[in-house]
Amino acid sequence: METPKLIVSMSPHLRGPLSIERMMLTVMVGLIPTALAGIYFFGITTLMIMVVAMATAVIVETLIERLTGQPLTFRDYHALLMGLLFAVILPPTAPWWIAAVGALVAVVLGKMVFGGLGTYPFNPVIVAWVVLKLSWPERMELFVDPHSTEQVLTPLMAIKEDPALLYSYEIRELFFGSQAGPIGTGCAPAIILGGLWLLYQGVIRWHIPVAFLVGVALFAGIVHGVNPDLYPPLSFHLLSGGVLLAAFFLAPEPVTSPVTPTGMLAFGFLAGVLTMIIRMWGAHPDGSFYAILIMNAATPLLNHLKPRNYGRSYGA
Amino acid sequence: MGLFSKGITLRAYAALSTPPLLETPVPEQVILPLRHYVGEPATPTVSPGDSVRAGQLIATASGPNSLPVHASISGTVGAISEQLTVQGLRVPAITIDTDGTDSAVELPAPDTDTATLSAEQICERIQAAGLTTCGTLPVPLAADLAPVDQPKTHLSLTHRPVTKGIDTLIITALDREPALQATRYQAGREHDELPAGIEALKRVTGAERTVVVVDKSSPIAPQITGLVAADEEETTSIVRLDARHFPVGLPVPLIKAVTGRELPLPYGHPRDVGVALCDLATVIAIGAGVTRQAPQTEIMITVGGGSLKAQGVVAVKIGTPVGVLVEALGGVSRPPGKLIVGGPMTGMAHYDMSVPITKEVTGVFALSPDELTLTVGYRECINCGRCVAVCPVNLVPGMLSMYCAKDRFDEARQEGLFTCIECGCCDHVCPSRRPLVHLFRHAKHQLTEQQL
Repeated sequence: METPKLIVSMSPHLRGPLSIERMMLTVMVGLIPTALAGIYFFGITTLMIMVVAMATAVIVETLIERLTGQPLTFRDYHALLMGLLFAVILPPTAPWWIAAVGALVAVVLGKMVFGGLGTYPFNPVIVAWVVLKLSWPERMELFVDPHSTEQVLTPLMAIKEDPALLYSYEIRELFFGSQAGPIGTGCAPAIILGGLWLLYQGVIRWHIPVAFLVGVALFAGIVHGVNPDLYPPLSFHLLSGGVLLAAFFLAPEPVTSPVTPTGMLAFGFLAGVLTMIIRMWGAHPDGSFYAILIMNAATPLLNHLKPRNYGRSYGA
Repeated sequence: MGLFSKGITLRAYAALSTPPLLETPVPEQVILPLRHYVGEPATPTVSPGDSVRAGQLIATASGPNSLPVHASISGTVGAISEQLTVQGLRVPAITIDTDGTDSAVELPAPDTDTATLSAEQICERIQAAGLTTCGTLPVPLAADLAPVDQPKTHLSLTHRPVTKGIDTLIITALDREPALQATRYQAGREHDELPAGIEALKRVTGAERTVVVVDKSSPIAPQITGLVAADEEETTSIVRLDARHFPVGLPVPLIKAVTGRELPLPYGHPRDVGVALCDLATVIAIGAGVTRQAPQTEIMITVGGGSLKAQGVVAVKIGTPVGVLVEALGGVSRPPGKLIVGGPMTGMAHYDMSVPITKEVTGVFALSPDELTLTVGYRECINCGRCVAVCPVNLVPGMLSMYCAKDRFDEARQEGLFTCIECGCCDHVCPSRRPLVHLFRHAKHQLTEQQL
């Protein structure tokens, strides 16, 4: 019999449908509600910020890969995702060049210097945000109320100055996003919808988001219980600043978060607690992004919290 | 009983509960290898030109790890030459060309007095029937079982010889993979030799309790459920598992799911945790071998794949070349991408269709090119953790793969490389398309070579 041309490679011969492209696209689809909410609240300029960030990210990544002779990876949509995610944590007043510089920093300092996807230790989006915050502090704190151009303080900035101001914020406003803040962190339903979509698609696991939110809620709840007038209730903390976005889109970033379930829970919980510590007693109004950056450094250590060795308890 | 929560549920080849039975092809020629993976080649008792009948002994065992070989069809002995086997080895093999009839050799009258047979005699009959263990690397079954009056000593983890008894006999009517259906098909039918086979196994192993594992969605013959009722001592039980949940059909996770015991990998044997594991087809063959001294001449395998016209189970004469089987079943519907001997998750991709189907084969799949996801150009590990979530032996495959890919084999070993059972779950889910099982096998091979 004539043998046809057969591929000979090792088992398994069936593979699942999830690839890197599908993961990245799924996350971008999960970000669409957030992006739309941002455009609704803060105007069409936010769309410009997103486009500039995404385009810069892809162009810079492709350029570096060309110059260094590496295979081009823009088709895995990772750069596009980084651009979009970075854009939604910027203030809506950011000029186009802030978006561009930030995307460049995210791709270069956050990803490419380490060797590309899978090799970087810190969340590139947050690295870029921190670099920008340190380099242009006034621009990165220039927030406005939705549908207006008048500069205001975000709720977290306000209560840092005067804790009594927390009563001037309605939970309903905080929930739906009619508050000053970064483009995509305000609208809770949009973020939660996106987060549930990610969980449903199996792109992220529940451990980090749940542990993060529990960390924030527990700490905020305890502290509020001790002194209700000085410290806001946990609902305020969960709905203000970047907590929700961080819980679903930034903290569970696969490359920089632990791989083991126990490690993930510890990572999420400690990041949540750190967020609250920075908010309460740190110099910054919102600690969620810094907290994730710090916990990224702990990821290799947390990866040692592995499942129990198989077979060690034989003889049961 | 331990819970089995790791592993994956395969969507492709989610098996039908009643697969169609295809017609057994009558091959023009069968190739019967004289040597299995381990052991010395059997000594032929026939020469080219002799005429043989189906079931006739044509080669005798030449050592403790060798098996006798029986003709699976009647005909004339062709050449005795080196042939390629399913494992990729070249071993001496006897070729038989069919004479068109299907005349079988006369078997002795069924021995109804098997209750008086000693464990040793049972092992002799098992060896005479030419039975092997189930699995990719088969070992003569009689050498693998430990008769209760002559328990085998083997080295424990402390490197001291240990004589360990077996307390649980597990008979699995579950196939190794969801795509394989032959065992489940047989579990839906009555078999005369099944009770005798179970009795023989109980006698040989000295097991106190028997557990029959069945698939929860496949039809089970009343004979099997009747085993529980028939047992007055109430030492037989039935456990239902979901065959679609891979890799619960493989020995290590199966023993964990049924008894809660974990094998001390990598060199652990089910005997180390007091378990004897046997699949349904082998039990039936043991029954036939012990009562009628009938050798095994046919095995039931599953055929399928996107490129194969026929899908279902078929009884195949041992020694039928794979290509002959494929042609007899209607051939390919489109050019195949891979030809797999075994199941699509744990089987071996082959390049030569003339390779004969031997006793340990469980399936033949012709996968079409669009069913394949090749790992060419795989990416770096993105630490997503999906592999950790599915690994049935609690490894961190991503980290392991990074060590193996960078040639850091000793660190891989410390991470638990040899605990890997090569089921392929991690490889299946990896979004970076890393060839994880391949990397692990490569590392294991390198480490083993270094030690020699």
